[in-house]
Amino acid sequence: MISKECVAMILAGGQGSRLGALTKKVAKPAVPFGGKYRIIDFPLSNCVHSGIDTVGVLTQYQPLELNTYIGNGNPWDLDRNHGGVYVLPPYQSAKAGEWYKGTANAIYQNLGFLEGFNPKNVLILSGDHIYKMHYGDMLEAHQKSGAAITIAVMPVPWEEASRFGIMNVDANGMIVEFEEKPKEPKSNLASMGIYIFDYKVLKKYLTDDERDPNSSNDFGKNIIPTMLANKEKMLSYTFEGYWKDVGTIQSLWEANMDLIDSPPKFSLTDRRWTIYSRNLALAPHYVGTNAKITRSTITEGCSIYGNVNHSVIFGGVTIGEGSEINDSVILPGTVIGKNVKIEKSIIGTGARIGDNVQIGKIVSADNKYESPMCTHGIVLIEGGASIDENEVISKGSMVEAGLQ
Amino acid sequence: MRDTMGIIIAGEEKIPPITDIRSIAALPIAGRYRIIDFVLSNMANAGIINIGVATESKYSSLMDHIKSGNPWDLDRKNQGLNILPPNLEHLSTGVIKGNIDMLAGIKEYIRRSHQTYVILSLGACLYNIDFKKVMQAHLDTQADITALYKDFSGLEERELSRFTLFDINENHMICDVEVQPYYPKTANASMGVYIMEKMLLESIIDECSARGDHDFVKDAIAKKINGLRVFAYEHKGYADMIDSMKSYYRNNMLFLNEDIRRDLFNPMSPIYTKTKDQTPTRYGADASVANCFISDGCVIEGKIENCILSRGVKIAKNAVIRNSIIMQDSVIEEDVELDHVVFDKEVYITKGRKLIGQESYPLAIAKGTKI
Repeated sequence: MISKECVAMILAGGQGSRLGALTKKVAKPAVPFGGKYRIIDFPLSNCVHSGIDTVGVLTQYQPLELNTYIGNGNPWDLDRNHGGVYVLPPYQSAKAGEWYKGTANAIYQNLGFLEGFNPKNVLILSGDHIYKMHYGDMLEAHQKSGAAITIAVMPVPWEEASRFGIMNVDANGMIVEFEEKPKEPKSNLASMGIYIFDYKVLKKYLTDDERDPNSSNDFGKNIIPTMLANKEKMLSYTFEGYWKDVGTIQSLWEANMDLIDSPPKFSLTDRRWTIYSRNLALAPHYVGTNAKITRSTITEGCSIYGNVNHSVIFGGVTIGEGSEINDSVILPGTVIGKNVKIEKSIIGTGARIGDNVQIGKIVSADNKYESPMCTHGIVLIEGGASIDENEVISKGSMVEAGLQ
Repeated sequence: MRDTMGIIIAGEEKIPPITDIRSIAALPIAGRYRIIDFVLSNMANAGIINIGVATESKYSSLMDHIKSGNPWDLDRKNQGLNILPPNLEHLSTGVIKGNIDMLAGIKEYIRRSHQTYVILSLGACLYNIDFKKVMQAHLDTQADITALYKDFSGLEERELSRFTLFDINENHMICDVEVQPYYPKTANASMGVYIMEKMLLESIIDECSARGDHDFVKDAIAKKINGLRVFAYEHKGYADMIDSMKSYYRNNMLFLNEDIRRDLFNPMSPIYTKTKDQTPTRYGADASVANCFISDGCVIEGKIENCILSRGVKIAKNAVIRNSIIMQDSVIEEDVELDHVVFDKEVYITKGRKLIGQESYPLAIAKGTKI
């Protein structure tokens, strides 16, 4: 039987509840990012550029949009005869049938899928990180060392280390200890949630873990600690470069802003490492005679008649005359009227913003839209919401569709 | 429309220097598109699943653009999109002198296709049409041939002379055809699109080849007009033929007009093209852009006005560009001044240069030129 060197499994089932209204109807990996992408484009494109041609995407929460988006995998060159991309939802079988209980259980339930490709190694990825990484280099390090598992780590600022899962390693880079959010970190190497397992080892640990009724079937909480306790050979692989978990409204907003800094903290222009995405077949964007655009990115299908500064504008957005958009992210298909002022906001897909609306300009003590998820004064308008003319939305608001 | 096939003749017109390296069908237009995208998308949107593109020469650019036909959803197991390189063996001279020669070269492909009807597209025309409606009209009128035209009433005679013009009677039948007449009698300009039964096309090709004729319009349509029921179908939306630098320039600039954009990029019948997965366009802190149509992957730091930019164009600080068409991956350095220029792909203008063309004669620069 043909054997695959490495099959990737992307965990894309989480709800991403901290993204509030952005993930009400879509799974987190399907959330738009960076002007024309969705979060899942990053791991998928990384896989293709790393020479991994077989990818399973494990979905559970609100999978419809994500499924349609992935389709046959053609945008990522993952429509293959032997391999390609597969969406893997939980399923029923003769004896049982259950939801994915945890990250490890999700892979366990799909061991049958992996078996079909007879892989030597399995790469486990998250569907909610923004980064460019050559998994092939990591795989090479993994194979050279003969480790049972290789975990990607990245150095984080010491003062932030206690927010992460920290790996303590020896002089050879072998992992000796794993601490989840330690109060007094001994190292600043944070786990990125990227694992390469020797397939046989993975199968064994997943099967054992499944038999343990007390386990929460999670890689970080159960599988990794058990492997450490069993003195398995565990290698750390240090990644240096841009990596961002976009699990919160603030981090998603920041990651978008990172693209338009000058020079950008994170650049997508490397043509040898193109981030692929499903294309909408829209015309080039039109910039009107009185428009002014600075320090921003604009993409296909947009018509810009107003002012845009330091913002990320997705496809098919219209911005009316006299409007001013600052430090904001406008998701696809949104129509913004005339003389609208928007500051530090994320405006959801297909929202309608009436003339003279003000969003994110003022602070108000009595704000009916205030949300604890919208930190640092960021405003989030849900996709499909309509904001009537002249309305004023204060900083830190989350406006859901149909509620205003 | 599964019973209709499409045949696209990838143009014979020449517009130097931009057609030196490619056929006119592969000419970039409206930023991210090629001229052939319009007719291809029109056919694909109507549900046609068998399209042959007959090429004359220099077809590598066209092949690279079309490849498997995936953007038009025409990468099918059966039929789909077929690029048909020239087949010269049947010609005694070995030289293509007209579209009949190209059609004769692909007659095996036409014969093997099992559709009853064919939509034949001869020229580089820019339009967005519902071919289902045209086909229905063709069936309703029981026409032998239905020809698409655009009414250009009001256009001055000199401009009309570049078209093939139809004289149409009160029953919408074409009673006379004149190819680029010096004194035009009508303003009904052919869009170079003809619908007929496949068998009729085959017999026309056969007959013309046997007689040594070369032109489908002059030799077949014009001469047979009295023996055939040739109906005219008026396209009310925008249409124009690209056949000279002047019409190329003007038709590009028309995309700055909102009504034209709405017409040609109707969201209900999208125009598809090869995707390049470029990043969104970046605007710098000093960018100044007014009335421009801009594709993805550009980096704009300078000042541009009334311009059409293809993908991946870089414009440095203090560069000023007006009334120009800049194709893919061209680079404009600092302090450059450009007005009324047409740059082919990968043109590189170094710091401080100044290039000025005129509206009636835009300055065209060939692919890869460094100045």
